Amino acid sequence: MSAEASAAVVLAVMAAAYAAAKLFKLSTELALFAAALAGALAGGAGIPARHIAEGAFTYFDIILIFVTATLFMNFLKESGGVAFVVRAVIGRFHRRKAILFILFAFLLLVPGALTGAGSVTVLVAGGMVATVLGYMGLPRPRVAAIIFLIAGLSAAAPPVSLWAMLTAAGVNMPYVGFFLPLLVPCVLLALVTIFWLGRKAGPVDLALALRELPEPPAGMNGMRIALPFLLFLGLVAAGRIWPFDFPILGLPLIFVAAAGLTLVLSPVRLPVLAVARRTVEQLLPLIGTLTCAGILVQVMTLTGVRGLIAITVVTLPVIAVYLTLFVTLPVSEAVLMWGAAPVLGVPLVLLFNTINLNPVVALAGMSVIWPLGDAVPPTAIIGRLTADTVGMKEPYGRFLLECLGPALLIAAAGTLMVVFSKKLAFLAVF
Amino acid sequence: MIVTVLYYLITAAVAALLVANIVKSRKWQDEVLYVIVLIPFLLRLLRLK
Repeated sequence: MSAEASAAVVLAVMAAAYAAAKLFKLSTELALFAAALAGALAGGAGIPARHIAEGAFTYFDIILIFVTATLFMNFLKESGGVAFVVRAVIGRFHRRKAILFILFAFLLLVPGALTGAGSVTVLVAGGMVATVLGYMGLPRPRVAAIIFLIAGLSAAAPPVSLWAMLTAAGVNMPYVGFFLPLLVPCVLLALVTIFWLGRKAGPVDLALALRELPEPPAGMNGMRIALPFLLFLGLVAAGRIWPFDFPILGLPLIFVAAAGLTLVLSPVRLPVLAVARRTVEQLLPLIGTLTCAGILVQVMTLTGVRGLIAITVVTLPVIAVYLTLFVTLPVSEAVLMWGAAPVLGVPLVLLFNTINLNPVVALAGMSVIWPLGDAVPPTAIIGRLTADTVGMKEPYGRFLLECLGPALLIAAAGTLMVVFSKKLAFLAVF
Repeated sequence: MIVTVLYYLITAAVAALLVANIVKSRKWQDEVLYVIVLIPFLLRLLRLK
């Protein structure tokens, strides 16, 4: 049997094992792991303990970033910081819809941008923003669509964009130059989304909204919220300004420092252990997917499947790739979740690189499209989480319908970024 | 050196939280997933990788 045929058989076995695991109601993470084990067995590697350990380490540093960043965000929420900001924003700008929308868009962008997870945006700020949008007369499915789409964009936004990080790691490309190519489309598309879907919103019913929002503890103020963020930004900036004099701390340690300062500045005593345990529990699907996707990719490399996928994608007609990005990326995300980036993203970036596109801007464009798949079954983890958080009682299809217009715009913007990546290369400066 | 030690402490803390959640978990799928996620943390703490 030729090497290609052998890899194709292993790929078929992996796909069958994944489908069977889903059929037996296994979670997506365990289905990925089952596919990896089946692939190793079919490839004649038995149960490759060394490769499982090696693969589990692939995204270890990213997992540490997720855990520490989410801990920081959860401490901020528990200390009443998020409630304080939301109440302050609507108290001051409840008559000015445009300013309110801009501030809400940024409020929703920050948690996901810092942690790389849209679920954190939904859990930390989504519920409170949804309450206010509800009191502006927007129907629940539309509110859920706003929260979900901006949460997706926040996950793609810098500094932590998982899809870009995973794909860049897979092609041995440093995660450098992504800040503006990710920031500009994410901010613009978030603003377009909230203004588009919120165009029929009326003024906030301030009394009702304030009654429903959680009350921040006495003593909470803007300084207590700002200082941890200033520490975070200061430590990140110090490493760049004085690269030879300042120790390389790394994002996880910087997030821990910011979380520590949040704890110290909190006006109420926080249940540290309970919040930390809840954080790990909340992140299990995410860090589980990362670990299992790492193992899957390692086994794919071991058995030649990764090479087969890479060669197949690289030899596809480029026009066909451009025209199908808006389908293939969300669908791959719906099936593999973040595992889609190393499996499909890596060969696509290699393809774009070989045809002389700018790989950084092209990857940023793809990263904007990927999160749309988080509302698509079978996984639809963040879509369903958003529907639950918002308290949507309507059928899930109505939420998908509300998402459709802005989602098509996001997909079109991402695809255009890929196509014109060379002309947009000026964005990839830092 | 200090930064390395701090990272070992973070790894140990997250590993401890994972173990605590395994003990409290009531879903077998979550338990299996916690064990898989724990692999790199333990290997790092034991300095095997």
